[in-house]
Amino acid sequence: MKSPLRFPASLFRIFLALCFCFSAATIGFAESASDAVNSPSKSSPQANVSLLSDSRAVVTIPGPLRSFLRMAGISQKVSPEEVLPLLAREVFFLGYRGATPTEFLILLNRYVSQARELSALAGSAGVIRVSSCAEVEPLLHILGYRIREKCGQSNASLFTSDPERAFLTIDSGFPLTDLEQTIQGGKPFVYEYSSTTVPVLFTEDDWIAVKSSRKVDTKNLIDRLLRDPDLALLYWACSRMDNDTVAALRTSPGLEKLVPFAPLLNFYGSEICIRSAHVIVPGGPDAEVAWKDLVGVSSEAQGDFVLHLLKKDRGWLVAFFDALSHTSQAQQAHFTNVHLLKPLYLAFRPSDNSAGAAKGVFRPAPTLLLLLTRLQFDPDGEIHVPGNIQVWKEILRQAPDSKRVAKWARGKNNDPQQLLESMFSLCRASAESGPVQAFLSLGELDAMRHRGQALKPDTVGLLASTFAQFSDQYLIFSEFPSLDDVSITRFVRVVESIDKIHNHTLRGNAMGIFQADVGLWQILARQEQIRSADLNQSWQKVIAPFSNINSAAVLFNAGRTSLEEVLRAATGEPHKSQDEIVSLLAGPAQHDVEGQRVQAELADRMRSILDGQRLVSLDTLLALGKGLDEAARGGTTPDGLMPLAGELREFEMPRPIFTSNERTEWAVGVYNNRHTDLEMKANVGKLMESAHSRAQLDEVRGRLTPFLRDTLVGMNYAYYEPPGAQILRVNPLLVRSHDFSGDTVIGIEGVWQAPRLFGAGSPAGGGAHLIGSLADLPYVLAEIEQDFIAPDHIQALIWRELVPALLTNSILPRWWDVSRNELHAVALYQRAGEELLSVSAKNEDVRNRVLAILSDHMLPQRLGMVERDLRERRPTEALSAVTPADMFYLTAEFRQKFPADFGSLGPLSQELDSLSRLHPTQVSWTRLSRDFGVPHPVLAQSYARELLNVKPFPALAGFSSRLMAESWDSTNLYWARLADEMNYSPVALNRLVPELTRRMVQRIFATDTEDFPAVLRAMQETGEEFRKGKVVSVSMTSPSTP
Amino acid sequence: MAKKQFLLLVCVFAGFVAISGIQTAAQQGEPNIHVVVEMVQLNVAVTDNKGNYVTGLRPQDFSITEDGVPEKLATFGEGDGPTRRLMENLPSGTEVSAEPGGGEPAGIPGHEALDAPAGGANVFILFDTSNYMYRGFVFAQDAIADFVRSLENADRIALYSYSRDLSRAAPLTSDRSQVLRGVRATVAGDDAALYNCLLLTVKDAAQLTGKKVVVVFSNGPDNASMVPPEDVAELAQSTGTSIYMISTRLAQLEPVSTAVFERMTKATGGKAYFAKNWKDEQKAFASIRDDLAHLYSLSYYPQANLNHGWRAITVKLVGDHVKKYHIRTRDGYRWEPRRFASGATRSSLESPHAPAGGTGQ
Repeated sequence: MKSPLRFPASLFRIFLALCFCFSAATIGFAESASDAVNSPSKSSPQANVSLLSDSRAVVTIPGPLRSFLRMAGISQKVSPEEVLPLLAREVFFLGYRGATPTEFLILLNRYVSQARELSALAGSAGVIRVSSCAEVEPLLHILGYRIREKCGQSNASLFTSDPERAFLTIDSGFPLTDLEQTIQGGKPFVYEYSSTTVPVLFTEDDWIAVKSSRKVDTKNLIDRLLRDPDLALLYWACSRMDNDTVAALRTSPGLEKLVPFAPLLNFYGSEICIRSAHVIVPGGPDAEVAWKDLVGVSSEAQGDFVLHLLKKDRGWLVAFFDALSHTSQAQQAHFTNVHLLKPLYLAFRPSDNSAGAAKGVFRPAPTLLLLLTRLQFDPDGEIHVPGNIQVWKEILRQAPDSKRVAKWARGKNNDPQQLLESMFSLCRASAESGPVQAFLSLGELDAMRHRGQALKPDTVGLLASTFAQFSDQYLIFSEFPSLDDVSITRFVRVVESIDKIHNHTLRGNAMGIFQADVGLWQILARQEQIRSADLNQSWQKVIAPFSNINSAAVLFNAGRTSLEEVLRAATGEPHKSQDEIVSLLAGPAQHDVEGQRVQAELADRMRSILDGQRLVSLDTLLALGKGLDEAARGGTTPDGLMPLAGELREFEMPRPIFTSNERTEWAVGVYNNRHTDLEMKANVGKLMESAHSRAQLDEVRGRLTPFLRDTLVGMNYAYYEPPGAQILRVNPLLVRSHDFSGDTVIGIEGVWQAPRLFGAGSPAGGGAHLIGSLADLPYVLAEIEQDFIAPDHIQALIWRELVPALLTNSILPRWWDVSRNELHAVALYQRAGEELLSVSAKNEDVRNRVLAILSDHMLPQRLGMVERDLRERRPTEALSAVTPADMFYLTAEFRQKFPADFGSLGPLSQELDSLSRLHPTQVSWTRLSRDFGVPHPVLAQSYARELLNVKPFPALAGFSSRLMAESWDSTNLYWARLADEMNYSPVALNRLVPELTRRMVQRIFATDTEDFPAVLRAMQETGEEFRKGKVVSVSMTSPSTP
Repeated sequence: MAKKQFLLLVCVFAGFVAISGIQTAAQQGEPNIHVVVEMVQLNVAVTDNKGNYVTGLRPQDFSITEDGVPEKLATFGEGDGPTRRLMENLPSGTEVSAEPGGGEPAGIPGHEALDAPAGGANVFILFDTSNYMYRGFVFAQDAIADFVRSLENADRIALYSYSRDLSRAAPLTSDRSQVLRGVRATVAGDDAALYNCLLLTVKDAAQLTGKKVVVVFSNGPDNASMVPPEDVAELAQSTGTSIYMISTRLAQLEPVSTAVFERMTKATGGKAYFAKNWKDEQKAFASIRDDLAHLYSLSYYPQANLNHGWRAITVKLVGDHVKKYHIRTRDGYRWEPRRFASGATRSSLESPHAPAGGTGQ
């Protein structure tokens, strides 16, 4: 029967083969490589070993694998194929400080020796047996323990005799307790101690034969890797490359010639792809000539091309190649035309002898990747220039890092390409908020706005010129693009005026209250409780009261008026109690029982944070302010105010453990509670009694200002409470200690930028606290709280930048206005993607199109594995390497590109089509992206929720894993799918998502900071737990009755 | 009155005990303890001038005041013996457990749900496995293993370890071998966040009724905690959790740790030990074990008190024949009424979700 999905394909195949890093069914090499494998085990995305190894290509690891992994710091969850690559990685990254082996490597070497001794003891049967006291001594000698009391007696126990050996014994997880029970007269000790074989990339001989600068005389690859970090790095880098590519490189230029380039391959090797006797270059066949010009040889030269690529400009060309490869095909097409590619690279590459592109722990020049990924283009294909060229020339005239740029900026050439080249030449600078970042950020801002409403040049100039100072504040403009030029300009002017307040205390309070009010507006606007049509007007009213702050009393009134405007915009009424405001923040009014229940629960959590922070009630503060106002207008101070004033003095500092002198000595520069001290000294009641004149009453009202700041800021903190938070609940100084104006640290700059964390690991410092603004608050709070999530696994790596992003993504999005259709649609997109993969396992043409789409979302190695599984008709295995975001993207793209074919793929695609016909808006990409996307404050300069569709970002200098975390869009998609399948209502996501994410974080068992498979695995395991009803706390949220 | 010739230790526990109607309601995985009636429990050790435990005291030998107001003893117990009810009319709905060690470890999944034998204590061992501990790691393990073996059968033990993160290596259980496996499964390495992890441990302990103590074995330094020791100490005081700390001399060389260890343990009714060698460590553990076996358990229901802050507790011995003895007691607790939250949430008692099992690799 003729398949409905047969396409005229031969030309298409050739095209695909030259464009994408998969075989497109035309390439024999990969087929033959895979044919060599005897039932390859399913490997994780990090491993590509099995297909390149014949069935004999294994190496032996002495002792049980579990013990070896413990000692090598490798996750217990890795597949056998991943063991050697990860060992190689750990040796290179953790094994040496300079040329000196670290304690980690020393212990690992010792362990290998001990394991060999134990293996010998275990004999050919591979079992250590101890059935009598007489048999135990040889074993104890190896283990470094001896017996206290007499062997065979019930009180006999083991204790250390040789600490060096004993450490290895326990660190490797030897079952000492079982042995102890045996010597106490228990059952015989039987411990299987067989060595483990794990696959090796190519063969052991291939690697042993490689000569490097280290003279290591061994025929054993484990020993070689442990002693030769250069080879170890090459092994690791090769193992992360696509199968066919690394096999081609093994042939030419050969492994030995690659050793000097191992650091470059480590950073940039994963995007190099050889297919059909070509190196696939960014831009595809159309760009091959341009690349030949840059590299010096044709991409047809395969290994030689790669070698030249690596050698050029101390690695900067391969860095450029890698960054371009990482972008979508559409972006590549922009940058790789023959007139642009070379000038851009020449602008980017260093002209001096600065460090090479392999220097450092993380990849340098992260801005290049951001620029290539996020640069905006106009519909005519021209680079989008926010404002106009003149604005940017003005900005770039001050570019300190590049004479070339400054020269162009002073000249008369107004060609946009020159501007683009200038941006590329600034990409290697390490500035976090320099001209390139400003250009990108303002480009994003324009991209969010309706056509014809781009920012005016004056606005662009204002934002760009103040970018270094206020850039993090501007995230709100990309989240709410309907804020017009007037709103933006007024905001900047208000911020500047507050920044100029001379009195430090007043300025800090003004910064705090202003940002807290704006933060509340932001929450309500995001939750659509402020109507879209009212955003501009309400924004201007919220910020206006702060334009001229000259006293604490004026600030109090400004804070109050601003809050009233927030409330008026959201409810139509300016006055609400604290309790009502918290309910409002907890979400828009719900009309069904489930929604009301979830909302009440969220509100109560916020209230409990306000309790934990022991903040003064907003009602009290506003009542006091109002009473004092009335008194100042000629009335008398009402008696009822005195008890309220008394509430201001209820707060007690935690019982001190340290004296003042000790704090000065042990926490100098860290402990500073000036703000709280001032509050505690303020006796408003007493001042009220003696205040009679208007000025005196104004002064009393001004004394309320720090309390107002704390309560308003506390509401922002409470809203963004990360799952598992502790410090928010137990440290009542956290909110009060937020230092807005940088008073507590000498010389600190950037106080309007995202706050920095101070005081961690300083016991006398009073606890961690933030210095800076409220921008990026959700992320920073998650950063503080993340270590209170106890991992399930000893040795689990929970890395600092990834987890805060995951937690932020679970808290910031809310799902109050998501319909059941939308929830069902997001599940259908993922399930239809699975259906599509299943079809593609049987249908070559569909497969080619699927892989072409996925190539925009996956790195070559993972794509190659999916391709292989599909080609070999193993769709289930292919599925395990495809993330929910990949799946969602695949379905959406396939539907858009091949609408006629999509509906015939199977019942799920038909259902999705039907749903889409009935509810086109709800099922649209735009809507679902908003519903189930996550914020990308660094990658896309916005807290707007969005699905970005980018390949996984690597760890990058200056960002560590943060960009990597922001390129992970899968989690909320997956939780939503589960919720739909288990018949939860959309509002239940507000409760489920934070808890499931926390559980997922507990389960992460990663080995390195780019271990995406570990994140995927933790998510899937959590999902399985949830399906089985094992996530106790969330299972108490009942699914709806169908 | 009998006197036992043991190392002198005086210890007072005090804390809230949920007497009846402990209800747990999971909220984002955090069990909330709804305290229907609150009782302050004090665990008291009495010693003579030589440091020997004084046993055989009667309820009338003690007087308790809170913020200067005399309080009536509600229950009384000594050592491993049963707790006796003293008040005729307890508040409505109140039930007094005769087994201080009993009660469900509410909301700590993975912990053994059992009625502990009468008089037993809930002992949480928190073992420093950070880089600071590396050199003496194996000896520390031996000492902890000995301590676990030596504890009375009545006690339940949990073994937690910490570096930057907490690991619940063995949940609360009376099965010694399970705890010993947990001890031997610990892995050394990473930064030290002692106070973060101690906070989580105290929160786990807070969910239990009866005697509960945390025994910290640490080298002292903390380079990663977000929470200050003051907050941990207050939480321990307010939940009736005594903290004992055993450290090597390294901590004594670091004045910050020394100060915290001494003051936090004193504040919570525990004690700090600075061991020169592993034998000293073993002695310290033996001392803690003896302390647990000789504590008086007193409790009372606070009289009406408008103080919404720190409440001072004073425990004294009454009568000439006992005045000469020493009492070491905690000096109070923080009363934190819920002002804003409306649900069954007492924020200071909320505890993190503990993973089931969680024995690591």
